[in-house]
Amino acid sequence: MNHGISYASSPLLASKTPVWRSKFIVAAIAIGFAALAGRAVYIQVINNQFFKKQGELRFVRTLDLPANRGQILDRNGLILASSVMSPSVWAIPEDVEITDVNLAKLAKLLEMPVAEVSKKLNDEDKSFVWLKRQVDAVNVKKIEALGIKGVYFRNEYKRKYPEGDASASLMGFANVDGQGLGGVELAFNQALAGHAGSRKVIKDRLGQVVENVGEQLPPTAGRDQQLSIDSKIQFFAYQKLRDAVLENKAKSGSVVVLDVVTGEILALANFPGGTSAKQEGLNGAQLRNRALTDTFEPGSTMKPFVAALALEKGLVKPETVIQTAPGRIIIGGATISDAHPHGELTVNQVIQKSSNVGIVKMAMQMQSREMWTMFNQLGFGQKPQLTFPGVVGGKLRAYKSWRPIEQATMSYGYGLSCSLFQLAHAYSVFARDGDLIPITLTKTNEVAVGTPVISPKNAIAVRNMLHMAAGDGGTAPKAQAIGYSVGGKTGTAHIQEGKGYANKKYRGFFVGMAPIEKPRIVVAVMIDEPSNGKYFGGDVAAPVFSETVQQTLRILGVQPDINVKPQIVTMAVEESF
Amino acid sequence: MMRLNLSLFIAVLATMLYVVQVQYESRRLFVEIEKTTLDVRKLEIENATLQVEKRAQATPLRIEKLAKERLHMRSAMPAVTQYLRLNRDDNSGELKK
Repeated sequence: MNHGISYASSPLLASKTPVWRSKFIVAAIAIGFAALAGRAVYIQVINNQFFKKQGELRFVRTLDLPANRGQILDRNGLILASSVMSPSVWAIPEDVEITDVNLAKLAKLLEMPVAEVSKKLNDEDKSFVWLKRQVDAVNVKKIEALGIKGVYFRNEYKRKYPEGDASASLMGFANVDGQGLGGVELAFNQALAGHAGSRKVIKDRLGQVVENVGEQLPPTAGRDQQLSIDSKIQFFAYQKLRDAVLENKAKSGSVVVLDVVTGEILALANFPGGTSAKQEGLNGAQLRNRALTDTFEPGSTMKPFVAALALEKGLVKPETVIQTAPGRIIIGGATISDAHPHGELTVNQVIQKSSNVGIVKMAMQMQSREMWTMFNQLGFGQKPQLTFPGVVGGKLRAYKSWRPIEQATMSYGYGLSCSLFQLAHAYSVFARDGDLIPITLTKTNEVAVGTPVISPKNAIAVRNMLHMAAGDGGTAPKAQAIGYSVGGKTGTAHIQEGKGYANKKYRGFFVGMAPIEKPRIVVAVMIDEPSNGKYFGGDVAAPVFSETVQQTLRILGVQPDINVKPQIVTMAVEESF
Repeated sequence: MMRLNLSLFIAVLATMLYVVQVQYESRRLFVEIEKTTLDVRKLEIENATLQVEKRAQATPLRIEKLAKERLHMRSAMPAVTQYLRLNRDDNSGELKK
């Protein structure tokens, strides 16, 4: 008997499963794995950027590496402008925990009233407040030592100008972010600024950098700029100018000192010139470098150029006599007169005495084109090739539009305009035996090569006239310097106001050179609106010229060419052999 | 076979620990380099600040003031200067060697 179950005949087993079904499952699982593998390859090999980036976002920090702003140096390598660390203090008000004692200490170190600090720290609406920007580094160390929770520091840089006011209008200024905004700081900004770098790092829990990630981009520091300025000459020029402006109760004044051998600017001083540190709040008038950015009618300082042209054209010789009596001349219905009638004057004396009539008589023998060409060659009406923001070229109208009276007035410096710098540059023609050299604000050791404008013979002749003008019978005996022979021309111009000229407003000039036989420097001085009685260029500007020349030539080590009675009391002990 | 596996296992463990130790050491050294670099930077900044400070103490304005007030000196003038010429034909003022 068979009681057992007949497995063989179990209907379950009897059901025949098709082979494809198991193969299908295996295939499906295989495909699943393949998909996973494919995805893994995709994520880790082909398109690995996304997760890499997500990962980095969670632990990699990018640090900016700020570039140091370059220093500005004078010709002897002395610092004129440099960046120093000046940290700023900030706080997260809601995190701040401070005792009253520490609050008082903090306020004292920040040089702020306690109430103000307390108000800033209690402003819980804000998650960030500057307590004070650019704090003295020494005080910051003391604040750090207090260990106040919620108060933090950020390193910032501040521009320092050790020379202060003396070179303020020349240096310009740079803002908190280290961008040059005026003067030399702006002119050379690109070179001074450098390029910021960056690096990616991994920081640990304590905020310490523990590893570099990827490539580092090191910062490129800004290049130092060495100027042609001599800070001592700049200081003396500024000091003498300041004294003259204050003494004459003038509105402002400027001095330009050029080295005519190399074409370098040795000094470029203006007064008043705002303190660099405070400049960001000042207005344009206090910031600009007037010697370069302001134009004016040069007055009598133009006369030597007309005389030079007359010599050049063969119209006159230095000894040619010109009748200037009765001290006035009528051109096109307008009367031009001299301050004092002189009678017969030689060309030399016309410049020495600064006779308007004499110079007009010379100018009227020329064609307007000839005068224009001369002025143009000297750089009048053209923007000087100088890297400095706001440099202007003044005005020199096309000769075709000149009326005779205009040609006459231009010969003594009215009807055209220029900056003090242009005037000094033009005078370098006389100082250099007739050629005009390019002027530079950066240091150079090369002797400049110029383009000839007048012949050496005539340049020397005009130099002689300028020497006479600064002599005892001239308009500016006050320009004479102890030990050095000088030559130069005064100018006193009425100030233009609206369409006419202001009645009692003047500008006094003096432009000259020294030593006269072989000039080394040209110095131009302008005093704007002197109002203390004296206003002639020979009275207000010439003394500044005299002192500036004396100090400059001494600093340059030029030997005096005039005998001076020695006042040396102690002599050097002779060396014994 | 078993012995080989065991020794390999121990070797793996040892290298693992060594790797961890080396990694730790490298980070420690790195942090030290970072700190030193930061110190260098700080010193550079301090140097720059001191240079400016030194310069500010030696401006012509200050020197002149101190020389006049404290030392009772006066500005040099050609009258009180003895000029020595090194090269007769040289008037440029620069000394030629």
